[in-house]
Amino acid sequence: MTETGSDPLTLENVSLTLPSAAGPVEILRGLDVRVGKGERVALVGPSGSGKSSLIAVAAGLERPTGGRVLLFGQDLAGVDEDGRARLRRGRVSLVFQSFHLLPNMTAEENVAAPLEIARTPGATETAKAWLDRVGLSARGRHYPHQLSGGEQQRVALARALACRPALLFADEPTGNLDAANAGHVADLMFDLVAETGAALVLVTHDETLAARADRAVRLRDGRVAENA
Amino acid sequence: MMPLSLRFAGRELRGGVRGFRIFLACLALGVAAIAAAGSTAEAFRRGLASQASEILGGDLALSVRQRVFNPAERAALEAEGRVSYSVASMAMAEAPSGERRLIELRGVSDSYPLAGKVTLQGGGALQTAIAPNGGVAGAVVEQPLLDRLHLKVGDQFLAGNLPLVVRGVLMEEPDRLSRGFALGPRVIANIGAVEKGGFLAPGLPFGETARVALRPGAPLQAAKTQLHTALGGIVRIRDREDAAPGIHRLIDQLEYFLGFIGLASLVAGGLGVFGAVSAYLEARKPVIATLKALGAEGQLVRDIYLIQIGFLAALGVVIGLAVGAAAPLLLGALVKNNLPVPALFAVYPGPLLKAAGFGLLSAAAFSLAPLGRARSTPPASLFRSDLSGTLTLGPEIVGAILAAAGLAAMAVATAPTKLAALIMIAGVAASFGLLWLLGWGAAWVAGKARAGARGPLRIGLANLAGPHSAARTASPAIGLGVALLGAVVLIQSALLNQVAEVAPRTAPALVFTDIPGDRAAEFDAAVGRAFGQPLTQKNYLREPFVTGRITKVRGQPVAAEQIARQDRWAYDSDISMSAIGPKPEDPGILEGRWWPANYAGPPLIAMDVDVAKGKAVKVGDAVTLSVLGRDIDTRVAVLRKVDFGGFGASFPLVVTPSAVEGANLRQVAIAKASKAQEAAVIHELGRAFPTVNVISVREQLEAATSLFDRLALAVRGAAGVAALAGLLVLAGAIAARARARTREAATLKVLGASRAQILAAYVLEYGAVGVIAGTAGVALGYAAAWPVVVKVFHAKWSMDWAGVAALLAAAALVAGVGGLLAAFQALSKRPAPALRAE
Repeated sequence: MTETGSDPLTLENVSLTLPSAAGPVEILRGLDVRVGKGERVALVGPSGSGKSSLIAVAAGLERPTGGRVLLFGQDLAGVDEDGRARLRRGRVSLVFQSFHLLPNMTAEENVAAPLEIARTPGATETAKAWLDRVGLSARGRHYPHQLSGGEQQRVALARALACRPALLFADEPTGNLDAANAGHVADLMFDLVAETGAALVLVTHDETLAARADRAVRLRDGRVAENA
Repeated sequence: MMPLSLRFAGRELRGGVRGFRIFLACLALGVAAIAAAGSTAEAFRRGLASQASEILGGDLALSVRQRVFNPAERAALEAEGRVSYSVASMAMAEAPSGERRLIELRGVSDSYPLAGKVTLQGGGALQTAIAPNGGVAGAVVEQPLLDRLHLKVGDQFLAGNLPLVVRGVLMEEPDRLSRGFALGPRVIANIGAVEKGGFLAPGLPFGETARVALRPGAPLQAAKTQLHTALGGIVRIRDREDAAPGIHRLIDQLEYFLGFIGLASLVAGGLGVFGAVSAYLEARKPVIATLKALGAEGQLVRDIYLIQIGFLAALGVVIGLAVGAAAPLLLGALVKNNLPVPALFAVYPGPLLKAAGFGLLSAAAFSLAPLGRARSTPPASLFRSDLSGTLTLGPEIVGAILAAAGLAAMAVATAPTKLAALIMIAGVAASFGLLWLLGWGAAWVAGKARAGARGPLRIGLANLAGPHSAARTASPAIGLGVALLGAVVLIQSALLNQVAEVAPRTAPALVFTDIPGDRAAEFDAAVGRAFGQPLTQKNYLREPFVTGRITKVRGQPVAAEQIARQDRWAYDSDISMSAIGPKPEDPGILEGRWWPANYAGPPLIAMDVDVAKGKAVKVGDAVTLSVLGRDIDTRVAVLRKVDFGGFGASFPLVVTPSAVEGANLRQVAIAKASKAQEAAVIHELGRAFPTVNVISVREQLEAATSLFDRLALAVRGAAGVAALAGLLVLAGAIAARARARTREAATLKVLGASRAQILAAYVLEYGAVGVIAGTAGVALGYAAAWPVVVKVFHAKWSMDWAGVAALLAAAALVAGVGGLLAAFQALSKRPAPALRAE
């Protein structure tokens, strides 16, 4: 169980088949991926190649149909949904293409939310500090619908990093942003990841963005086509 | 520090309650109905309690029948405090013109009334008005008598043979409510005058009541016990705490029935609650999944939404309570002076607490199950929007089941008749289950049928079969509303038909009482003359009449208090009986054999089964009767079912003539007559038989129809509340799908569908929901109404086809209009933005 030491993420022969009206669909087929401490890995591939599904499985949001997923050396197979939520707390964060900010919470409350869920003391102060880090200290009392797309993604980034996770999953974090905002968010993400020492798993279509990672894993039809 | 779930729930509620308007309306409606019914009933109860002494006319009322209190009894009564005496008898009033009318004649002592006051039109004191003046006794009368006999104040009239002068118009008597239903207008005279008129002769059907105002501070129960011992068991004693038991029972039953309809509307609206919570949680799925992705456990997420739903349920209940408490206050302010029963309208916490309990339990029963979905919503739904939480057996489902059981238990516990409540609740639960199954079945059939359909019909059927089919959500709720409304309409129409159509055909038109036994043949001749046709067994029946009490059964003295309350009537007071030799036509014999016409052996008795039930009397049992002051030992020869509304020997007890041999019994007669014959016989008997009372059944039926109409209006209004709950659920189902409909309509437009085709598809879909719900509701309403009419009221079943058709049409129309509104709403949006939002 701990043969891979304390690598943040190890996927061994992971497969995922989902039911559909037209019959079962194989999404992931025998994937092997390892992400080391502080390592930045880009997942690239065409639409439907299984990138987002891989994140869902790796973060413990979805159970794989086969294979093993190890988060910080712990096999997720025997862990129920609540146990996986506890495992993520403070150690694993996610950033989504469509932000997924909590619409009825202010920017500050959104950032504080994972800290509060993890019962971390000083959540509000930490949230304020992180909003300052992403340049939104003046927008703390604004609700998501009062923020631009770029601002929302910066709040999401602050929310993801406020608990200083060891592993950050980012699913197309710049996919919904214009070029200027995309560049700004990407810079911020790589800077903050470097500063916190978190490992990064980045799903992207953008080869320029992928090139900033330490290595890229290319997926095709649910399989690893290239791991370099 | 505030718990995390509470903090997050508070933040979530910042989004407002927009999606919860139907939720709030469904809860508030049911709670308001229950609270209003309870508050109104409590207002009447308090009103009655506040005027208990006035309603009874004193602290204690003691009654005897067919005699007056003897001197020893009077002494015992007067030892307890001030006493007023009154006698009551039926009599025929006759104007100088010869017009005649049955009246309820009361003779009161000088001390009457001890409590409250008699109000006369234009003022004036009762005792002054009824004092003898110029050799003729005075009387105060109700206005309908003046109208009927074309009399005015100052005119003289006869009550039987007693001349009286109208000295005032009676507006109010303090003890009217405690005396119940009257067969004719009331007339009050002095007790001495009534005695002089011959109404208190032995054997005549009069009664005397003594009302006692106890000395200040004297304990009520001690005085009651003292008088019970002194006067013996055959005197009926009531006290101010039980002043108008019939009215109390009616209030209890009406409160429960109206409250039950409120409860049914909570159940029907429950689907709206269920739908609103489900739709809300579906819309919050990304938030739920995000919270889970951020590390929140299922229980925390469930608690966040449980707190929100709990808050909203409390809000709905509070709105309902406010409306339910305010409505009777407003109503009371509007109709206070026209109420037949005193009422103290105020805000009473008891009924409101009960309504709140029902509301919260219903909210829990219908919201906990969908809340289970919040706990089980997978975080992967962030990536796959088709994923949803599944309903599995967990604490939420268990909680929902417990809440539903609590709701049923509370409904039974608060009911005046537990068994009836249990049957009603089981009926609603079974109906709801059946309607729900029918909705699923209809969706399945629509799914199968759509393959063979084209165009708008296919779209409509596809929507009916789809995962958000209104057939599964709205149709059970509408169906339950229609079922309740249908049951009320069918019961009402069948009973009205019984009273207005069937009874006049089968029941006698006239009842004659107090016919002197020694002038019976002469009386028959007088009636025959007035009718202008020969009397036959088909149109005229005369039998001896006497009242008596069952004192022993199987040799054991009867202890009325040990008999079930609903059967006690036959044992705690005198009941009517006859002495008949030959077997009557259609005697309704269930057990035993009628005696030979010339039977002269030991006394036998034929007993009605409803009388027998109280003491489980069987054929062959010994029964002792107290008749005209002597005990008669009889043996039960026949148990029969008496048709009290029919034309026959409708006596609960019939003895062999030998049992009362030698007694000159008064007679009663019944006759079928046209309106003209009725008028003629009343006039004819005025000369030869002024003391014979003629009761017009036609008039009584008309009065009953009018009373029934007024009661039915309240009940129908309440049933309308349940139907409204069904409509709210329909509105909720339409609102929940509004966004999807807009997208669907936009897509259909892109595909070339015309507005008319889209309109037709939606009207077909919702119209079908209305027809399914209406048909099932009417069928269930029929199933509920039939046993009530036939088994409870023993009336003839008749089907109100017009009412049924109206209900069906209304259900289909309302649902179809709902579809039309949904379509207009969807078509009002431009397709391009709607599709971009996709």
